[in-house]
Amino acid sequence: MQQDSDFQGRVSFLCGDWQVVALSGRTPVLPACSELVLSFFDALSHTLMSSREARAYPDVVTWAFWIRRASLEKAARRISKDARIRVGRGFALHIAPSNVPVNFAVSMTSSLLAGNITAVRVPSREFEQVRIICDAINSVLGSGFEAMRPYLAVMRYGHDDAINASLSSMCDLRVVWGGDATVAAFRAIAIPPRAIEMDFPDRHSLCVVDSSEYLKMDPSQVALLFYTDTYYSDQNACSSPRAVIWLGSGREEARERFYKALHDLVFKRYAMQPIQAVDKLNAFCELAAAGFRPLRAGSDNLLWRIEGCRADARLMDFKQPGGYFFDIDASSLEDALPLMDKRCQTVSCIGVDPAEVARMAAAHGARGVDRVVAVGHTMDLSFTWDGFDMIESMSRIIDA
Amino acid sequence: MTNDDLFSINPFSLGSDEKARILASKLRELTEFHRGHCAAYKDVTDALGWDPDAVKSQSDIPFIPVRMFKNHELLSVPRSEIFKTMTSSGTTGQRVSKIFVDRQTGMEQQKALIRIMSDFVGKKRLPMLIIDSPEVVRNRSMFSARGAAILGLRMLATEAAYALTPEMELDLEAVDGFLSRHGDGPFLCFGFTFMVWHHLYESLRDKGMKLDLSRAHLITGGGWKKLVSLNISGKAFRDAIHSSCGISSFIDHYGMVEQTGCIYAQCPCGHLHASVFSDVIMRRPQDFSECAIGEEGIIEVVSVLPHSYPGHALLTEDQGVLLGEDDCPCGRKGKYFKVTGRLKSAELRGCSDTYAAGF
Repeated sequence: MQQDSDFQGRVSFLCGDWQVVALSGRTPVLPACSELVLSFFDALSHTLMSSREARAYPDVVTWAFWIRRASLEKAARRISKDARIRVGRGFALHIAPSNVPVNFAVSMTSSLLAGNITAVRVPSREFEQVRIICDAINSVLGSGFEAMRPYLAVMRYGHDDAINASLSSMCDLRVVWGGDATVAAFRAIAIPPRAIEMDFPDRHSLCVVDSSEYLKMDPSQVALLFYTDTYYSDQNACSSPRAVIWLGSGREEARERFYKALHDLVFKRYAMQPIQAVDKLNAFCELAAAGFRPLRAGSDNLLWRIEGCRADARLMDFKQPGGYFFDIDASSLEDALPLMDKRCQTVSCIGVDPAEVARMAAAHGARGVDRVVAVGHTMDLSFTWDGFDMIESMSRIIDA
Repeated sequence: MTNDDLFSINPFSLGSDEKARILASKLRELTEFHRGHCAAYKDVTDALGWDPDAVKSQSDIPFIPVRMFKNHELLSVPRSEIFKTMTSSGTTGQRVSKIFVDRQTGMEQQKALIRIMSDFVGKKRLPMLIIDSPEVVRNRSMFSARGAAILGLRMLATEAAYALTPEMELDLEAVDGFLSRHGDGPFLCFGFTFMVWHHLYESLRDKGMKLDLSRAHLITGGGWKKLVSLNISGKAFRDAIHSSCGISSFIDHYGMVEQTGCIYAQCPCGHLHASVFSDVIMRRPQDFSECAIGEEGIIEVVSVLPHSYPGHALLTEDQGVLLGEDDCPCGRKGKYFKVTGRLKSAELRGCSDTYAAGF
C-alpha cells in the first residue's frame, strides 16, 4: 500500500500487521479447505475451548466448537465432491458489523477456508469477545503456525474513507456486513474490475407457529429456544424473528400460553435498558402514525406484542429490537408471503416443517427467505448464509 | 381555550389535589383538541388508548416520545397561523425536532416564563447580561433551543447585552459597558451551563482576570452533561464562578424546546420546581408506571400551554427523581425534583450539549 505511513497511525492491528496487507498481492492464495487452514482452526478451537475467559461467552464457545476439525472437514468434503480445483480469490477485505461481536470471526472462517489472504475490520466498540478471539489467534500464530501469518490481519480503525478506499482498491473480494447505510457507503467506493463483492445488509426474520402442534409442546422449553433466537442477542441479529405468525387451530390459547411463558423467562433473565422502553414506545407510535391501527397486548415494557396488523411488507420498516414483536394471525402460510420479501432472511418454525416453508416460498417465487430452521437455531453458524454458499462464493474454480 | 385562570394565581400556589384536578381537566381538553386537529396525533392516541372519562389526573393522559417531533411535522392549527418554528439542536447529521408555535401559544409561553421567573428573582424587571453571542438569536425564522431560551428569558429584562462576540470570545468592552450602567444594582445574568464555564469562567481564568458580577442572579440551563464529563460538579461550578465573578445567587433550570416557557427553576434548596402550568411525572422503565418519591425514572413532562402542536404530554429521554410534593422548605407548592441525566445511548439532543460536543 503506497500510503502505508499515512495510515499506520490510524489503524491498529489486533492480529497481523501492515505486511499482511502490503504484501498480499504477492502472497500465493491457498487451495480451498487447505490442511494449513484446517489445522490452524483446530488449534484455535482447542485454545479457546480450554480458556476460562472464553467459556464465559456462549457465542465464543459456539464459534470455537464450529471451527474444530471434525466440523470443518464436513464442509471440506462438500467442497471436494466437486472434482475441479478451488482456490482463494486473493486479498479479501471484510467489514464486520457492529451488532454481533463474533461475526468478524465467522466471516474470517469462510474466507480463510476459501484460501484468501484475509483482512477483517472489527467494529470500534471494544467487545470482550473480539479481544478474547484475537488473543487466541495471536497465541496460535506464535506456536507453530508461522505459515499462517501472511494470511490473516484483524484491524480496527474509525470511519475513514481514505483507508476504506485504499484497502478496497487492492482487494479481490470485499465482504460488507452492516446496515443498509454501511453497504451503500461501501458501494460508492470502487473495487478493481476483477474483484467481487458480497454484501450483507439489513434483513428481518420471522417465526411461524402451528398452534395445535405448539399446544402439545412444553411451553417453557419453547420459550427458552425462542429467547435464544431473540432476547439473547437483544433481538438485534438479522436472524432474530420480528414477527410471530400463528397458523392452525387453537391460536388464541396457543399465543396466550406462548407469550406468558416467554414473559416469565424474560422477567427472570433479561436486563432491559431504560432507553429501550422509550424506543419501543416510539416504534409503536411511529407505526400508528403511519396509518397502521396497531393494538398493544401485554402491559409491561419487557415484551411488546403488537396485534391488529396484517402481514404487510411495510410493517418491517417499523421493526424494533429489544423485545418487540408483530403478532400476526394467518389462516395459511401463504398469508405470510408479503413479509417474505427480499429483506426476509430466516424463518424459524414451531411445529411447522421447515421443508414445507421452503417449498412454499419457492413455489410462490418469494424474493426472500434464505434459510428455514427450527426454533432456537436462528443463531446457528453455517457456511450457507443469506443465500450464499460462503466458501464457494469466496473462492474460484480452476476448470480443467 | 386560554389559561387565564392560571396566569392570575401565584405559579407555585396549587396543592397536589387541586393541581391534579385542574391539570386533568385542561389536559383532557387539550388531548381532545389535538385529536380533532392533528390526524397523526389522533392515530397515535387511538393506538395508545384514549378514554377521556378515565382521566383522573395528569398522569392518565397518553404521552408520546419527544422523538416523534423529529420524524413528523405535528401541528394542530393551520400552517398560516404558525409564527415561529423552533428546532431542537441536533448534532450534524441528526434530525432536529420541529415545534410549531402560533401567537397564542407563543404568548402564553412568554407569560408563563415571566410568571415563573419573577417568583425567583422578583417582579421588577431587571437588566440582563447574556453569556452568549448575539449571533445565536440572529436568524429569527428558525430558532435553536439556545436561541429560543435566550429570547424567552430576555423578555424578563429591561435591557440585554451579550457578553460574547460572534467568535465566542469574551467581549470585555460590552461587559464593561453593561457593568458601568448596571453593575451596582441587581441584574440578571443568563447562559447555558457550559457556555458560562468555558467562555466566561475559563476565559477569565486564562486572562488572569476577575469581574464584579456580585449583584447578579445567574440563571443557567442546558444541562450538566458536558461539565459532568469534565468532572465538574454543581458545587465546583458555583464555587469557581463565585471566586471569579463574586456571584452568589444561582438559579439553574430544566426545560426543553418542546415545552418552552414551562421551565423548572431551582430554588435555594437545590430543588427544581414544577409550576402550575406544567408537571413532571417520573415513570418506571419496566412498565411506565409512576415512580414513588425518591425512585429514579424516565421524566414525562405535561404542560397546559401547547395549543398549536400536540406537545402537552411528552416522554423525554431524561432521567430524574421526584424529591417531594408541596413540602419544599422554600415554601413553593407542587412537585420538586432533580434531573439525573440523559438515558444512556439515547441520541445526543437538546440545548447547549450539542455545542459542547464540538469541544
